[in-house]
Amino acid sequence: MSDPADSFDNVSDRWGREQVLGLAPDPAAAQAAGGVARPAKWSETGTDGEAVWGECQGSGKSVYRTCADLTEPAFRCSCPSRKFPCKHALGLLLLWSDGTVGAGPRPGWAAEWLHERRERAEKSAERKAAAGTEAKTKDPKTAERRERRVDDGLAELDQWLRDQVTHGLAQAEKAPYRMWDDVARRLVDAQASALAGQVRGLAAVPRQPGWPDRLLEEYALMRLLVRAHQRRDRLPQELRDTVRSRVGFTLAQDEVLAQGERVRDRWYVAGVHDSEQDRLTTRRVWLRGRESGRPALVLSFGVPGRPLDVSLVVGTEVEAELAFYPGAQPLRALVAERLGTTAAATPDGTSIREFLAEHAAALARDPWLARWPAVLGSVRLARSAPAALHVVDADGDSLPLRPTDPWRLLAVSGGAPFTLVGEWGPRGLRPLSAWHEDEGVVIL
Amino acid sequence: MSTWNEHVTAALLGTQRRPAPVLADHPATGQTAQEPAEQAGRLLDQAALLTVQRRAGHRPSGAAMGGLDTAGLGTGEAGTGQSAAAGAPALIAPAPAEDVPAASDAAAGRLARILRGEQIRVLPEWLEAAAANGLRVPARLLPELLEKGRSDRMLRPAIVRAAGRRGVWLALQNTDWAYLVGAGDDPGGGPDVWQTGTRNQRVAHLIRLRGTDPAGAREALRETWAKEPAPDRAAFLATFEHGLSADDEEFLEEALEDRGKDVRQLASDLLARLPGSAYGRRMAVRARECVRPEVRTVRGRRQTWVVVEAPHEHDEDMARDGVPFHPTGSFAPGGRAGGPVGARAGWLREILARTPLTTWTELFGQPPMEIVCLPVADAVDRDARGARDVHIGWARAALRQRDAEWARALLKGGVVVDEPEALADLLAILPAAERDAAAAGLIRWVEGNPDLLRVLERIPGPWSGELADAVVATLAGAAERSSQRYEHTLTQLCRLADQRLVPEAGPRLEALAHRLATESGTGGGTSGRVVGSGTVATRALHELTETLRFRHEMLKELSA
Repeated sequence: MSDPADSFDNVSDRWGREQVLGLAPDPAAAQAAGGVARPAKWSETGTDGEAVWGECQGSGKSVYRTCADLTEPAFRCSCPSRKFPCKHALGLLLLWSDGTVGAGPRPGWAAEWLHERRERAEKSAERKAAAGTEAKTKDPKTAERRERRVDDGLAELDQWLRDQVTHGLAQAEKAPYRMWDDVARRLVDAQASALAGQVRGLAAVPRQPGWPDRLLEEYALMRLLVRAHQRRDRLPQELRDTVRSRVGFTLAQDEVLAQGERVRDRWYVAGVHDSEQDRLTTRRVWLRGRESGRPALVLSFGVPGRPLDVSLVVGTEVEAELAFYPGAQPLRALVAERLGTTAAATPDGTSIREFLAEHAAALARDPWLARWPAVLGSVRLARSAPAALHVVDADGDSLPLRPTDPWRLLAVSGGAPFTLVGEWGPRGLRPLSAWHEDEGVVIL
Repeated sequence: MSTWNEHVTAALLGTQRRPAPVLADHPATGQTAQEPAEQAGRLLDQAALLTVQRRAGHRPSGAAMGGLDTAGLGTGEAGTGQSAAAGAPALIAPAPAEDVPAASDAAAGRLARILRGEQIRVLPEWLEAAAANGLRVPARLLPELLEKGRSDRMLRPAIVRAAGRRGVWLALQNTDWAYLVGAGDDPGGGPDVWQTGTRNQRVAHLIRLRGTDPAGAREALRETWAKEPAPDRAAFLATFEHGLSADDEEFLEEALEDRGKDVRQLASDLLARLPGSAYGRRMAVRARECVRPEVRTVRGRRQTWVVVEAPHEHDEDMARDGVPFHPTGSFAPGGRAGGPVGARAGWLREILARTPLTTWTELFGQPPMEIVCLPVADAVDRDARGARDVHIGWARAALRQRDAEWARALLKGGVVVDEPEALADLLAILPAAERDAAAAGLIRWVEGNPDLLRVLERIPGPWSGELADAVVATLAGAAERSSQRYEHTLTQLCRLADQRLVPEAGPRLEALAHRLATESGTGGGTSGRVVGSGTVATRALHELTETLRFRHEMLKELSA
């Protein structure tokens, strides 16, 4: 009764609690933020839709001024913490998320800081634009040098791959991680960074069951990439783009926004997966277009001090225009423009047979695809002899699940049909989220 | 062997030992006598082709659809049984439908926060409140909740009530959560559990039987009694508290001769609760020798006095009836006066605690309220603390005999103030409607006394009504006095109150905290002590109000 009815309209604009805590640099900060998010600790709080601000009573006599710019998001706090965002900024956002921060005009200090920030951002954008045109003007020579380096690096990798197979993969089982790390480092030197990351990831393969198959697959696909790159001049443009990006030629976001294919649709945020390597967290957000049926992958990278993107919330749908990175099978994309607000939505599932057909078609265009998003409708869980889980659809077709902690998935499904979102890869389907009539969206 | 497996084998061994297999439609095939390095390249190229083929050509395996809905709960062999093709996955049998709705999204969100460690101490209250409102834990939070119950046994009964059928269904698939299965009313097993079960199962069986057929339970126990080891005899005898009646007297009297000390003690304790028993009569005789009415005239006022004389000797019969030579607590410091209670006073207390309270109403011819208020004198020693011993003995007797009238009299009479825990325990005997007011009265009695915390500890939540008012007043009193002792009391008090005080008291405490903060802020210049205690006190109060607010919102979500 105490809530005014119109507060419901604002709910979708405010972030959810999970979304706020998703910004935390580590679990400890998230926990501390919960402690700070108490109205009694705060005074002079306010928001104007673009920013939230407030003054927090710290330990002792100190009072910290905290401000969060919601558009980026960006944070500032006068506390001495080196965590970013600090617990005060997170706590303030939690309060705002709970709806306890009222609307109001910006106080002087907040307005000043926000203004400074905007100015700085504009300046750096100008500088970047200037640098961009500069870079393009002195392109040819550097580019040529890089091409040569990559060629040499790839030739060396090809030699190494053939050596492995000549002497036998059996020795990989006892090889130290260093073996792959050395190769990866040489590829970094050769400026083939994507391929380098691929090689580094292989070090873990011989510790997994069924590793000989997996290792041969990966080596074979790398060799295929090397060969494709060597023959790049004879490849169609799209496939050449695919090969180049898989080797490590990156495109700046501006270029993608400027040249990439634009697709406007209502995009359903199907699932998120975070993976961490060397203090760099990679977040994969999988989208599915309602009209186009197209999958899209939005990547974001978090390093200490820079939070991951939390703007796409699983289980919601957003009307937006995406800009796809070029390639034979476009998948990675940027959100170019949001055209509406987000709203909770239910996923459209496909059958397993339809999904596998789609995956096969995608592989035909890009044989190096390591994962493809699946949204499977009315599947049930099944178990095979060694307690491995599978999903089975209404037609009786089944796919194996990657071995992970199955309990939440089991609990939510209760053995009944549900919609499962996952990443399909060589090791099985990795469950990311589930949608069930009674439970709604559950992140796994 | 499939073509792919041939490739894997060759790659494992190395092309210098085994040539690359031939792939029918690969362009490089046909060139023979290649160098191992070239062979390796060819093998990789062919493997790439096969890999993409394999991945793109992945066929869904069929599942065993047989027995789709027939498999009941608890079929651990669901994964192995009735599969049409060997190794084909078998569908997991669906969970039974729930008969109560899941908690709302808001409530579930809060539970998720609690499970992650925020205000974790309120978890039992969330579960109890949900169960009381006919709600269950949403399925997605069950794994975390069941995991909590794995390490915290105290939590399990509450989990059982709130986990719904899905919880049991899930626990049947994970042995770590087995505690949820059959944790309720059924101790497991049929009638033969008494012959074959573990001690706990047999105790559960007896308790259940005592509920419906106390005589049957007694006879079952009598049959095996002689063969049971002493700890088991004690555990089984303890079940007699359920459905205790005069029919049990004979069995209990025999147990007074038992070899096991715990068994004897237990038997005497049970007999002391039995109205109209021979045991009670024996005790009443002893008690009357120690306590007698006497009409005295003091300062011109004629009045009935309670004259006390502690027993001078201890004998075998006393020991047999459960009054040991050194009763528990006889070495304990004797309240504020200091010094141990002493053996004689200990005997007196024990005897009174085991004497039927009707003895006194008959002896004095007055209702309990008036008896409690009578002046007490020691027959021999003027300075002895006879009054206290009598009142403590009565308080223990009231607790043991669950006599609400005596409990009310002792609480209202304001006696036994130096052993207030004994009084706090009496609150539980009062009818629920009287409890808050009586507790509030008790707190006012002991306020400013170090016993206060020990008293409050013994009063279970929720603290509401007058009791809540009294606690708030006590908090305010402690907060406004700025000495270190009160600071300690305040923090302890806040810690006790945060789970027990009804959340409605929150706003009043917030106002108090606010006033305290502003006062200490302005008066800070004069003395460091004030500032120091101000921050500690305000912090403790803040913590308390935050917890109360959290619980308030929680209960609102669960009752909406």
